[in-house]
Amino acid sequence: MEVLKQLIGRLHPVIVHLPIGFILAGLLLQWVDRNKKDFVKITALLFMWAAIAGLVACVTGYLQYLGEGYSFKNIKTHLWLGIVTTIVVFALYLRLSENLKFPLLKKLPETFLSLLLLLLISYTGHLGGSITHGDDYLIAPLPNNIKSALGFETYEVKPIELSPESWEEAQFYDDIIAPILNNNCVSCHNKKRAKGELVLNSEEAILKGGENGDVLIPNNVEESAIYSRLILPDHDEDHMPPKDKKQPDKEEIALIKTWILNDAPFDKSIGEMGLQKSLFTSFFPKKANEDYPDVEVVEASLDSINTIKKQGIHVQRISTSSNFLSVSCINRSDFSDKDFIKLSPIRQQIVDLDLGRTKISDAVFEQIALLPNLTVLKIDYTSITGQEMHKLHALEHLKVLNLTGSNFKKVYLEQLYGFKGLKSVFLAYTGLDAADNRENNDKTTLKIEFGNYELPFIESDSIIY
Amino acid sequence: MDNLDKLIQEHLIRKAQQKTRRHFIKNCAQGIGGLALGSIFSGCDPLTNQKGKTGTPFTERDLNPLAVLSPPFNPKIKSVIYLHMAGAPSQLEMFDHKPVLHKLHGQDCPQSLLEGKKFAFIKGTPKLMGPQAEFTREGEAGNWISNYLPHFKKVIDDVAFLKAVHTDQFNHGPAQLFMHTGSARLGRPSIGAWATYGLGSENQNLPGFVVLTSGGKTPDAGKSVWGSGFLPSVYQGVQCRSKGDPVLYIEDPEGISRNLKKSTIDAINKINKEEYLKYADPEILARINQYEMAYRMQIAVPEVMNIASEPENIKQMYGVEPGKESFANNCLLARKLVEDGVRFVQLFDWGWDSHGTEHSTAIDLGLRNKCLEIDRPITALILDLKQRGLLDETLIVWGGEFGRTPMQENRGNKKMGYKGRDHHGDAFTMWMAGGGIKGGASHGQTDDIGFSGIEGRVSVHDVHATILHLLGFDHEQFTFEFQGRPFRLTDVEGEVIHEILA
Repeated sequence: MEVLKQLIGRLHPVIVHLPIGFILAGLLLQWVDRNKKDFVKITALLFMWAAIAGLVACVTGYLQYLGEGYSFKNIKTHLWLGIVTTIVVFALYLRLSENLKFPLLKKLPETFLSLLLLLLISYTGHLGGSITHGDDYLIAPLPNNIKSALGFETYEVKPIELSPESWEEAQFYDDIIAPILNNNCVSCHNKKRAKGELVLNSEEAILKGGENGDVLIPNNVEESAIYSRLILPDHDEDHMPPKDKKQPDKEEIALIKTWILNDAPFDKSIGEMGLQKSLFTSFFPKKANEDYPDVEVVEASLDSINTIKKQGIHVQRISTSSNFLSVSCINRSDFSDKDFIKLSPIRQQIVDLDLGRTKISDAVFEQIALLPNLTVLKIDYTSITGQEMHKLHALEHLKVLNLTGSNFKKVYLEQLYGFKGLKSVFLAYTGLDAADNRENNDKTTLKIEFGNYELPFIESDSIIY
Repeated sequence: MDNLDKLIQEHLIRKAQQKTRRHFIKNCAQGIGGLALGSIFSGCDPLTNQKGKTGTPFTERDLNPLAVLSPPFNPKIKSVIYLHMAGAPSQLEMFDHKPVLHKLHGQDCPQSLLEGKKFAFIKGTPKLMGPQAEFTREGEAGNWISNYLPHFKKVIDDVAFLKAVHTDQFNHGPAQLFMHTGSARLGRPSIGAWATYGLGSENQNLPGFVVLTSGGKTPDAGKSVWGSGFLPSVYQGVQCRSKGDPVLYIEDPEGISRNLKKSTIDAINKINKEEYLKYADPEILARINQYEMAYRMQIAVPEVMNIASEPENIKQMYGVEPGKESFANNCLLARKLVEDGVRFVQLFDWGWDSHGTEHSTAIDLGLRNKCLEIDRPITALILDLKQRGLLDETLIVWGGEFGRTPMQENRGNKKMGYKGRDHHGDAFTMWMAGGGIKGGASHGQTDDIGFSGIEGRVSVHDVHATILHLLGFDHEQFTFEFQGRPFRLTDVEGEVIHEILA
């Protein structure tokens, strides 16, 4: 019997759509027929069906409440409104049927009943939906600005950022624990929603705990649900946050553990607690991708990349998450100035260009100057003399220039100082040495590598112990 | 006759294996799906525009398993040179300065340290042995370095030390496997195999993963330390010799001219092409590619492996000995290979197992000679890469499979004729230099006698995670499906060591 009760109860979410359908069909027909009154009989019939189906829905709904262990507090409005809806639809049926025997009903305007019914069915249905799907079901996907415009509380995820200089001054609770809870927990555990009667956005509320008692017991991570539930397997019913919600990072979980194990203070700084820096390094600001220009470029078309690849020129993305390209002629030692035109379809994307050991000449600079985002240029072991080098001065992102083993001439050394962002130039095996360089008294960050390293023989080299 | 029967049997089994119900269903789903997709996407084939009969587009990798792929994150380096001192060098005579151990020289090792520990040879209560080298602070960062490495101080500011690496293996074979494959048991791919599988290799005339040994003993763990494990075997390390033919049988046999070889390969490929037109199996295209690559390698490999053509000052700087197998030769070769776009170069040196059983394994004699053998070439390698602008895009990793005990070895519970140290995995030193590495950094610290790490301990998995990070991978996401589950180089562990990253 218990089984049957539960089974029938579980049919409620399906059956409930019957009266909804009949009611909406009835109301629609009533509206369409409002002038001619051709279909009053059919409308009445629809409302009768709706009333019967509504009765069944009420019974199954009640059985579900009994069988599934909902608390009465949570479902009472839905339950009462469901019953009221059924009564109103029945009244409407009576009002429309021919042999009306209740004079009282006749006094009530038909439109009033219809509008009341529309309101009731919408709101009751909404309450039912909230019980099964959760009451933020429709709100959750909205963007935050719309949510707050609608008057809902928003829990904007605020990234936790510590500074590598002053991390020790940060307050452990205010600057770390509170944001972690805000980002991962508070959207359900706030004063309005308070799932499990637990609120996690203030010291008092955290210490108060939830329906299962305390969630934070200092120095005891096993008993502190605020930690122990985070590390349960995803599929565990008690795992928090629920598995389809955003999960905290492993670094964040580690910090909650550290906090609990260190007496869970609400008013101490990291420095006062004497904790290791390594726990916090993942919250230091990530250095932006400083290797390559901070500009957005569109993706190069696969067709043009493939056409270039077919020539034996190597083209690849810097990484799968970047549109920048790295190009190398390592397999095309016969590459010469006239081949450069082939690279023009991807000139925006090239940041890394290796023309080492190819047959290019100084005339190529004119074309290289057309690569606006070029960052690393390798023209080592070529016949480049540097004569047209100044044409590259417009390349503001150029950082590395490798001229190792080229024919670079001393007279063009000065041109290297005309680059704005150039960081390192490699001139080993060009016949030049550091003495050729000018006195470096202005504040340039340019580092020129002349090579010619030696490891002179020392006495110990010949000793055999 | 028996053999022929066996062959036929094997053929039938193979044939049957290819026709299981599972294969049929799998092939059906893929084949039909491929047919449908092929007709939808015909003409927008992403990579090659070459199509099989079914119209399913091939990836570049189908045709060339070493085709370059981009990593998921911006890489800091293009290549890795891994210098492995097989036998495990003593950190206490090279990098880990322990003055307190010097004071405690000759005293019994405290029992509390020995409890629950396993040693390969130490028995009973061994005596502590002070460092046999003298240490000075060098470079701008002031890191400690011993007088066993007189040249190395010149590049010490380019190097980041890991002073408290630990491993859970204390015998050479398993420890070497662990260090190179992330598992002490056989069957996992080596770091170099992972790297070439994940990234491919740019130079189409050279292998992507080259292994060089200094002659003498090969690593105890055998060739598995550069094996491909469950990855396709094309990603395993190619062992090249610095003496004689760099790769065995690379020369054409006597009487076979280069032209005849070319026509042979052309003929084979012609048949293969017909076969491909018939069956449209991309494996056949891969095979054609392999033949052509091997043909190109016959020229390219001897060229890159020839150090005689290097300028005299370079040869002197490295201290090479042309015509011999030596670590110095291999260091120079490593630079040449990396310069030519080889992805992963692995050097194995041997003779570092300083137990003190004989002159060559004595801490104050044999070890010192070994240090001098590597000191000049490694310093030269760093300087040479630096002057060519290659150090910024290459990672050099140096280490052994574990470290050595602060106690003197007492094999058989006896005093031994030479000073030696036993295997020790609790704390040892490794270093990295090159692209993305914070030169002059020193991470981790051992206790006063260098027995265990007390701060900044890092595991072998952490080292692997860091290498993969520099190559542009998240070690937790970089996986290969095998036996029904995704495998990682770092298994379920490993943290990137950010402290030594620039």
